[in-house]
Amino acid sequence: MRISIPPSWRTRVHRYRLVATRCKKCGTVLYPPASICRHCGFRDVEQIELVNEKARLITWTIIYSAMEGFEERRPVVIGIVETLNSRVKIMAPLTDILPDELKIGMLMEPVIRRVREEGEAGLIYYGVAYRPVLVNESSGTS
Amino acid sequence: MLLEESVGIVGWGVYIPRWRLSLREIVDVWGFSPEQPKELGVSEKSVAGIDEDAVTMGIEAARNALLRAGISPGEIGAVWFGTESKPYAVKPSATIVAEAIGATPYAMATDWEFACRAASEAIRTSIGVVASGLVKYTLVIGSDTAQANPGDVLEFTASSAATALIIGNREESAAYFEASATYITDTPDFWRRDYSKYPLHGEAFTGEPAYFKHIIGAVKTLFEKTGLKPSDFDYVVFHQPNGIFPLKVAQMLGFPREKVLPGLLTPIIGNSYNSSALIGFARVLEIAKPGQRILLAPFGSGAGSDAFSVIVTDKVKEKIYKAPTVEDYLKRKHLINYSLYAKYRKLVYRVE
Repeated sequence: MRISIPPSWRTRVHRYRLVATRCKKCGTVLYPPASICRHCGFRDVEQIELVNEKARLITWTIIYSAMEGFEERRPVVIGIVETLNSRVKIMAPLTDILPDELKIGMLMEPVIRRVREEGEAGLIYYGVAYRPVLVNESSGTS
Repeated sequence: MLLEESVGIVGWGVYIPRWRLSLREIVDVWGFSPEQPKELGVSEKSVAGIDEDAVTMGIEAARNALLRAGISPGEIGAVWFGTESKPYAVKPSATIVAEAIGATPYAMATDWEFACRAASEAIRTSIGVVASGLVKYTLVIGSDTAQANPGDVLEFTASSAATALIIGNREESAAYFEASATYITDTPDFWRRDYSKYPLHGEAFTGEPAYFKHIIGAVKTLFEKTGLKPSDFDYVVFHQPNGIFPLKVAQMLGFPREKVLPGLLTPIIGNSYNSSALIGFARVLEIAKPGQRILLAPFGSGAGSDAFSVIVTDKVKEKIYKAPTVEDYLKRKHLINYSLYAKYRKLVYRVE
């Protein structure tokens, strides 16, 4: 599958660091990032990164008939998670997990993975996937 | 006072993939002697997943190192990526990592190549550029999805993992460098040419003329420079191509095996090439006490070795639990079969 260079390049920082914006008036976090608050319409927002924020798994789907270019990744698991503090919903691939291990409400964390690639010779598109948390909060590590 | 003593390890981080392959699977598929894994001293190896490569593993290790260092990524003056499994043959892995952690655009960024020793040379170079004041911190990453020809004896050990070190001023460090030495020669023990997918190795050259000669050469040079002897060290971490060589070289140099075993991870995760010695070193940092002395001696084919004498400081304790430990990654394990491993590591090809 062809990866267009300009949008891939323009979005690289947003993908690698999960960039969002936060309204300076009402505090709503906007993901994907937006320059106008979708909640109150305020036009002054600040850029934040969600890359260190854990999330809960809300739902998922398991795709057995994957589209061209994703055959090696079957079954493809795509989930929607909600981040714990900023409360935004993010749709992303789920990784390092087997289908029978998926549970609604499980704690997930973002990691960078190869999301897709253009054959053997083309670009590699890195982006965020979510995996089950490596270390639970109770053990004292983040 | 040697130049090294003003420089230390401000943060460290590792990454080990979840997936593991029992070496019995390789015995069954390729018809090796059932005794082969035991002869290599290895039972399982870590396998990068279908969506992982040296860059993704390096990014996670780097983020863990940043959490322990507690510094701003913008303060990093060099991102140096040691690997022999670059996702792109031409296009730096280091810039992807630098962008992912927020260290662009003013940092130097380069991929280093010297088989399993590339990251080790970047550590020694870091000592120079930090001590000189050229940069405040460097980020050195050793990361590999190690390649091996299917059915080659190398396949038993070639594994995947990453280790990252942030190197900076001694006062902020969990451990500081006391001295270092290097020993290199032109030795054809292991190589891969442009159009070859997998490395080849000169059977008789891998042991005596390569691994043992160069590690012993680097460590003895370090001893001569410092007057240190084996009994002065609490732990010793060598490059770990299998579970046997590190114990043998320790014996040849006069170290008891008890000083090697805490940092010997190859028996349970295999040889992660550029991360091989460094991940063992990270594990030792996570159990060592302030004031203890560690000998770190990575090795790379082609061939060369570096020896570093490292002293643990009282800052180590406050840094350990700021990021996942080696033990956390070791515990996160799921065994897969040879078929899945072959797909994950692209040993089977589909026609597009």
